[in-house]
Amino acid sequence: MRRRGFLKAGIAGAGAAHLGCSLQESLPAGPPGRSAVAILKASSYAADLLSLLRRGAELCGLDAKGKRVLLKPNLVEFAFNTAINTHVAVIAAAVERFRSLGAAEILIGEGPGHRRDTLGLAEDAQYRRGIEKFDALFVDLNRDDVSALSGFADLPRIYLPNTARRVDLIVSLAKMKTHHWAGATLSMKNFFGLVPGSVYGWPKNQLHQIGIDRSIAELHRVFPRSFAIVDGIVGMEGNGPIQGAPKQTGVLVMGGDLVAVDSTCCRIMGIDPQRLEYVHLAAERGHARADGIEQRAESVASVRTDYTLIDSFRTFRLP
Amino acid sequence: MKDLLASRLDFLRTVQNPDGGWGFFPGKQSWLEPTAYALMALHGDPASSQHFERGWMLMRSWQLPDGSWQPCAAVREPHWTTALSVTLHCLRGVHDDSFRRGVNWLLETSGTENGLKFRLVHKLLPSVVELDPSFKAWPWRPGNSSWIEPTAHALVALKKASSAQAPSLLRDRISSGEKMILDRRCSDGGWNYGNRKILGTELPSYPETTALALLGLAGNRALDLAAPLAVARRYWASTPSPFAKAWLRVSLRSHAIALEPREASSLVPHDIMINALEIIGSTGVLA
Repeated sequence: MRRRGFLKAGIAGAGAAHLGCSLQESLPAGPPGRSAVAILKASSYAADLLSLLRRGAELCGLDAKGKRVLLKPNLVEFAFNTAINTHVAVIAAAVERFRSLGAAEILIGEGPGHRRDTLGLAEDAQYRRGIEKFDALFVDLNRDDVSALSGFADLPRIYLPNTARRVDLIVSLAKMKTHHWAGATLSMKNFFGLVPGSVYGWPKNQLHQIGIDRSIAELHRVFPRSFAIVDGIVGMEGNGPIQGAPKQTGVLVMGGDLVAVDSTCCRIMGIDPQRLEYVHLAAERGHARADGIEQRAESVASVRTDYTLIDSFRTFRLP
Repeated sequence: MKDLLASRLDFLRTVQNPDGGWGFFPGKQSWLEPTAYALMALHGDPASSQHFERGWMLMRSWQLPDGSWQPCAAVREPHWTTALSVTLHCLRGVHDDSFRRGVNWLLETSGTENGLKFRLVHKLLPSVVELDPSFKAWPWRPGNSSWIEPTAHALVALKKASSAQAPSLLRDRISSGEKMILDRRCSDGGWNYGNRKILGTELPSYPETTALALLGLAGNRALDLAAPLAVARRYWASTPSPFAKAWLRVSLRSHAIALEPREASSLVPHDIMINALEIIGSTGVLA
């Protein structure tokens, strides 16, 4: 184990790793071809999100017809006047959009990492009031039926919710946030909420023991049928993903290649994706390099909004 | 009140799975956690004795060779819910080999932060997560760090087991577990999952984990818990969460504080754990 890995595994015990990342090596070229990522401007949650999602879906060639779709928001904790969770308006618009796209089934699922009362969190975050028939659509992934999947990092198996395993498409409805252990939390990190607390606890400490970066990359590997919609209308900067400050950014970022979406989000936030270890680890299965990404609608430069970074990630700032 | 209790008991009997266990929700896979709470809720109810026996048999069948319990049929790995099984054995007065192996597993299991590697790293970077790694407490799974909830349940189990096992064997672990809980208390007076301060930022407590921490500390009269109990009472008055309220009632009852249940007009919730916990809080079986 490299020195950094040893330290991370140790300190991750009671919280997570926080040693920054000194990666300087170039990002891998990724798979053949290029990945489309749409950046759409939305100045507030009152914007016509449904139309924006339709445009993004068209620009990215999203096909959901006949598919069973699981929408996975980022529902972590709740506090007034913060931007911790995916905004209810984005989720409600996504439900409508996937209905229009002809999805055979639409579910909303989440397994928060700290709080056991998932429905209570959903209530606090206005999901139950703001999304029609929310309770009928919602699955508490922390307490779903589970089954084993062989091989996950060094583990012989991982147990995952059957709901997440049986759907045809998982849509990561992530929030654009800095993260005090991983640098940034976006569509790939959002998959931590697919890991069941009933097996791994609150928090899902096993993922920290494996290593946060490695766990992110592994979850991306085991859930390949995915699509990302990142809520960057109001993101979070500084000491994210919970204690940071809201950051008005005014974008939705969409795409079928989660590595490309996250790398694009990083560039919008003024973070060099090359410095994020999990981007490196996942980059064989997606495009992290700018030359592998076809930016559609807005350009990164036109929406770039530098996020405040905590000390250990200051060197990650893009020029 | 009686009607509400009766309707919850009836609900639990109705939604028992054919294998004898309970899922988190009706019709779902049986798990040890809701099964254990359902059994605690049905314990001593004459109309539920057959349901109890079926659940008890399933629970007993899930013990692993190392003395721990697996959390469900699909996950054959040691799990924190071993503490719930030990507690159930105590409630039922069964102190056999299965019980002793469960207690031994709890005594042999502790969080990795108490190990040499974490202590070394923590010495180098003490400000990252503020905690005292010298206390031995309990993880959700072996090989992980200690957290409030599994520690609270292990303390309940070991305190109840003290009447059947030589107390001297258990005393040190109980004491260390209690110290861990006290060490992790948030600056607002309650507890969250187990991190009070990260990167210099104070973290808030939650109602349900405050309840669980106090449940774990119950029975130790040497502790002055007036302040956190006051926090728990405030949470009781303010939280809209049925889940948190159910745990607060169970916990405060273990400190001889009786609270009124939720409004009698409340519908029986779909959530099996909430139903079971509301009965446990009402009967005081864990107090």
